[in-house]
Amino acid sequence: MITWMKIAIRNIVKNRRRSLFTILAIAVGYAAVNVFGGFTEYIFKSLQDSFIYAQGNGHLTIFKKGFLAQGKLDPFQFMLSEAETELIRELCRKDPRVMVVTPQLMITGLISNGSVSTIFVGVGRVPSDLTFVRSRATGMIGRLKLYEGRNLVDEVPHGVGLSAGLAKKLDLHQGSEAIAMSPTIHGQINALDMQVFQVFHSPYEELDDKLLMAPLDFAQSLYDTTSADRITVLLTEDRSTLPVKEHFERIFADAGLDVELMTWKDLSIFYVKVKDMFDIIFLFIFVIVFVIVVMSVVNTVSMAIMERTQEIGTLRALGLKRRGIVKLFAIESSVLGLIGSLVGIVFTFVGWGLVKVIEPSWIPPNIPYRVPLEVHLVPGYMAVSFVFLILLSVLSAILPARKAALKGIVDALGHV
Amino acid sequence: MPFLSMKKIWKYYQLGETRIAALRGVDLDLEEGEFVAVWGPSGCGKSTLCNLMGMIDTPSSGELQFLGREGVSLTDDEKSELRNHSIGFVFQSFNLIPVLSALENVMLPLQIKGTSSTIARKKAEESLEEMDLGEHIHHRPHKLSGGQQQRVAIARALVNDPMIVIADEPTANLDSENARRIIDLMRTMNGRKNTTFVFSTHDRRLLDRVKRQIHLQDGVIVEDRMLADEAS
Repeated sequence: MITWMKIAIRNIVKNRRRSLFTILAIAVGYAAVNVFGGFTEYIFKSLQDSFIYAQGNGHLTIFKKGFLAQGKLDPFQFMLSEAETELIRELCRKDPRVMVVTPQLMITGLISNGSVSTIFVGVGRVPSDLTFVRSRATGMIGRLKLYEGRNLVDEVPHGVGLSAGLAKKLDLHQGSEAIAMSPTIHGQINALDMQVFQVFHSPYEELDDKLLMAPLDFAQSLYDTTSADRITVLLTEDRSTLPVKEHFERIFADAGLDVELMTWKDLSIFYVKVKDMFDIIFLFIFVIVFVIVVMSVVNTVSMAIMERTQEIGTLRALGLKRRGIVKLFAIESSVLGLIGSLVGIVFTFVGWGLVKVIEPSWIPPNIPYRVPLEVHLVPGYMAVSFVFLILLSVLSAILPARKAALKGIVDALGHV
Repeated sequence: MPFLSMKKIWKYYQLGETRIAALRGVDLDLEEGEFVAVWGPSGCGKSTLCNLMGMIDTPSSGELQFLGREGVSLTDDEKSELRNHSIGFVFQSFNLIPVLSALENVMLPLQIKGTSSTIARKKAEESLEEMDLGEHIHHRPHKLSGGQQQRVAIARALVNDPMIVIADEPTANLDSENARRIIDLMRTMNGRKNTTFVFSTHDRRLLDRVKRQIHLQDGVIVEDRMLADEAS
């Protein structure tokens, strides 16, 4: 084995220029896959954290059964009563994987500044719970300033937040007063005074002129109810989402609760679509890298075989079996793949470091301001692509090497 | 008792639409310890005969037995093992692996066989010492003269203690002085180890050193002479 390795390494050094190009092709391919993979990981993590933490949706959301299918037509039919909410909170809090269980109520209606009115889509939340959920965000999302103004607080139910577009539309600012109007669950019109505590950026551009965020008490008062239409659950770890969901489904059924649970992925359609899109782009890049690596290695090995046909004939005459010839070139190719991948790791770190130093920023879809662009180092991708590129290098060598091994010994010896 | 026996061996080559007979019904037996020259003009079939004896080519028809085994029916792996264990080769262009030192080149047949590196190294060193190349064991082929390279090739051919060493035009790329030295060296090894040597040549000046001359012409053995007394 050492002899074959020696032959492989010395031939790589002997043909250093050709080897260098192959190694660079593998290294650049490796770095391209991993830097882009690191960028997509940053996108996925940011979207996930944005949905779970910044928007306060948690990992799991509990609805009354039927709410998602028919609740749009008659949401009041599918509300969770105060008693149900309390029972759910009690059951959830027994699980050590649960950090926060908080009810929400979606509201719609008209908002007026005294002279102009427009529609709003709002959500009522427990401000202290929301603050806690947001405080758990890490990375870029944890550093984002989500609003201008002051925190919503449990003690001041009429202190609300408006999306920037809605505030602008009604010429409302921090401290401005306005009126929210909506039918109660009993069908009567209700109106409540409110004060703008904060102006926030909508996570969805198309809703930027419509969003309102209020304390849960405010939303419940407007609808004249003590019910909620959903309960969000924040977990200690993202990876617990599915096991906890399955566990809760069982214990809720045992408790006689007629509810359904959705994970953050079920509800975040945007995340799923973006992920699908990036997965396809990633696959596309991966295929390009795959083709480049295969072509480079096949070219290098084919050239080596052509130049060393007489050597192959000699080794065969000395008694090396056909599979020995294949092994010889496979080792040479795997050394190229190994060195290429190692250089690729260096390139990946260089790319990652450059992004860290330069700190580029960009405006992603659905975010109306610049955010830092990051590239994550993903050990999983790096390890898989490391092994994959070495395997690919070996496999690329096997076909031309097999062809060479099948050549007649006399022909090979006579090759010039 | 011959260890290599050829009976009615024919070998054809296809050149375009023409079929050329390189060997025409050759009968030949080789015994242990022989020192044989196969000679004749270019194209007479010398190399073809050497290739068939060395199991690196297959006859178109006829019987070829090596150590009692029917050569034609052996699988490629079996032939490889037979070559590795029982046949040594010396080529016209030396055919040393350029990226390996003289020592590593000589170790190759042993390592193909699966001998441990330590033993292979020891045997290769001894083999090179026998060839008077002790000072050059770490030199790569391009640092050696043609004569030295051919001696390394002989050391490589002998390192596995084969039954037979086949040398196809081993002196063709050497000057007459070196050519004679190589034939003398092979002859010495033949005497010392009782290994059968068969070499092909078109140089008649080298024939006085052999025990047996096989004269080939147009693929036929026209003369097979024993010269044991003359050679010694």
